[in-house]
Amino acid sequence: MLSRLTRRQFCLALGSLLALALVASAAIGAFTFSPAQLVRDLAQAAGWTPASAADALGRNVLLKLRLPRVLLCGLTGAVLGVSGTIMQGLFRNPIVEPGLAGTSAGAALGAALVFVFGGTTALAFTSLGSLAVPVLAFAGAFGATMLVYRVSSSFGKVNVFTLLLAGIAVNAVCNAGTGYLSYVARDPQARNITFWNLGTFTTADWRGVAMVGLVFAVCFGWSLRYGKALNALMLGEDEAAYLGIDPQRLILRLILLNTLMVAVDAAMVGVIAFVGLVVPHMLRMAKSSDYTFLLPASALLGAVLMELVDIAARLVIRPAELPIGILTAVIGAPVFLGMLLRQQRLGGAPVATGGAHG
Amino acid sequence: MVELRGVGYEAGGRRILEAVDASFLEDRFNVILGPNGAGKSTLLKIAAGLLAPSAGTVRYGERAVTPADARGLARMRAVLSHHVELAFPLAVEDVVLMGRYPHYGRAPTARDREIVASALALVEMSDRRRQAYPTLSGGEQQKVQLARVLAQIWSEGRSAESTVLFLDEPTSNLDVHYQVHLLEATRGLLGRGCTVVAILHDINTALQFGDRFLLLESGRVALTAERADQIPAALVEHVFRIRARQVRDPEQGDVIWRFGR
Repeated sequence: MLSRLTRRQFCLALGSLLALALVASAAIGAFTFSPAQLVRDLAQAAGWTPASAADALGRNVLLKLRLPRVLLCGLTGAVLGVSGTIMQGLFRNPIVEPGLAGTSAGAALGAALVFVFGGTTALAFTSLGSLAVPVLAFAGAFGATMLVYRVSSSFGKVNVFTLLLAGIAVNAVCNAGTGYLSYVARDPQARNITFWNLGTFTTADWRGVAMVGLVFAVCFGWSLRYGKALNALMLGEDEAAYLGIDPQRLILRLILLNTLMVAVDAAMVGVIAFVGLVVPHMLRMAKSSDYTFLLPASALLGAVLMELVDIAARLVIRPAELPIGILTAVIGAPVFLGMLLRQQRLGGAPVATGGAHG
Repeated sequence: MVELRGVGYEAGGRRILEAVDASFLEDRFNVILGPNGAGKSTLLKIAAGLLAPSAGTVRYGERAVTPADARGLARMRAVLSHHVELAFPLAVEDVVLMGRYPHYGRAPTARDREIVASALALVEMSDRRRQAYPTLSGGEQQKVQLARVLAQIWSEGRSAESTVLFLDEPTSNLDVHYQVHLLEATRGLLGRGCTVVAILHDINTALQFGDRFLLLESGRVALTAERADQIPAALVEHVFRIRARQVRDPEQGDVIWRFGR
């Protein structure tokens, strides 16, 4: 059925699905809203109908807690979906995601620095105020990703094998740093780091929505220009160059925009694994591996999936909720293993395919 | 026409090419011959504008060739390598469409789609256009890659600007059926203002399809020949370090080489 749809129809269907998921996600939770209530509260908040005192509590929950959470969740899904797509294109491999190249771990280390030392005035970054977490997360993510890139590139070429191995090493160093910080931290801060490493939308506010929304809009718009180039890169760097693309410049730009998007998002919601892996995989199976399709579609599907997982996180152990990263790992890790097994059965080396030989 | 003047190349302190002068002529099938490590691939990469030479110049007619002009070059020069793998199940027609990337912006035009269809028809792969590329056999994959590079430099009849097609050991993984099919398809470009330059390993295949020959030895030109019978057996024996003997095809009368130790 899916294969009959054109790519445009497919994206429209995903868009409708997203609208449904957003409404469901806004309605469901410790405080339940009926669709009629949602409309009434929104209309009152917008000033289209006079605000009634009876609805004040519900309106407050919806505006101050529920809506920012729903939007931040959708944006996070979109960021992770697009990021997974970009990184799989860069590495020419379907088993790559931001967790692999050090991006997430670097962001986590940067943010953990702020969590633990943020209170001490001795450090310069306290002057950044509320921007300290995103700025240091970006610094950490960019530093880690660039280190992986530098180690693995020689003679102006990126070696995929080394890149993956360097990712493991840099991840280990960053995780050790974060682990040390949570070890020396006094208790509430350590708890903050734990929560953050598992991902959470409970702290969502409008400032976070605005920041992630803005960065995502810029990076996503920018990335759409590289659909063709990512396709050409599938053939290998030399073949891409013969098609008029400068592969080294392309790789650098994609790493930059990808890191920016992932770090700012991670600074708000923490580390959420496997979404970036699963989303492009589902789209490849359902439709096509063409990046001009994957880039927009992975933003939509990422948002849909994230909303669904977040609804589940709110429901499974009611009235408490599960950290979102636990759920995505439980769902994503088996998919990842399944993909590895499949690649092995097909006889292709999982880490070294792609590109011209000779 | 592709002209190399005094081309040299050094990498890691090693001299790979030295003072290479070569002309590859339009509407000819120019073949680069030589043993492994003679610098054939490097020469092709320099001639195709991927690598900048350490010394010397490359021109296509009046046009100076530099890696900085990647986009402009991509519209009139294509390169077919010997084997391209894809890690992703991209459809055959999407792979061929890549050849049109240098020619369109965000979305392909109807003309680009037509060219993709024509290129697929030319390599007899039209009925496979929706199949996933990695599920094709090696020979079929190479046909698709040929369709991609043909789409890149497509022209109806004789176009105003001449085109260049480089082939880097295009048939080294193929059985004789695909070898002959692929090389005949590229010979079909001759007479349309296309310069074909190929590295071929099999000397008999090279002599059968080529009509101009450059023999490379240790980064230097050992011989330039217009016809197969201008290649002396003694030189081939020396360059390839092998015993060589020529026999005549009793029907066609052309030369076939036999090799032994």
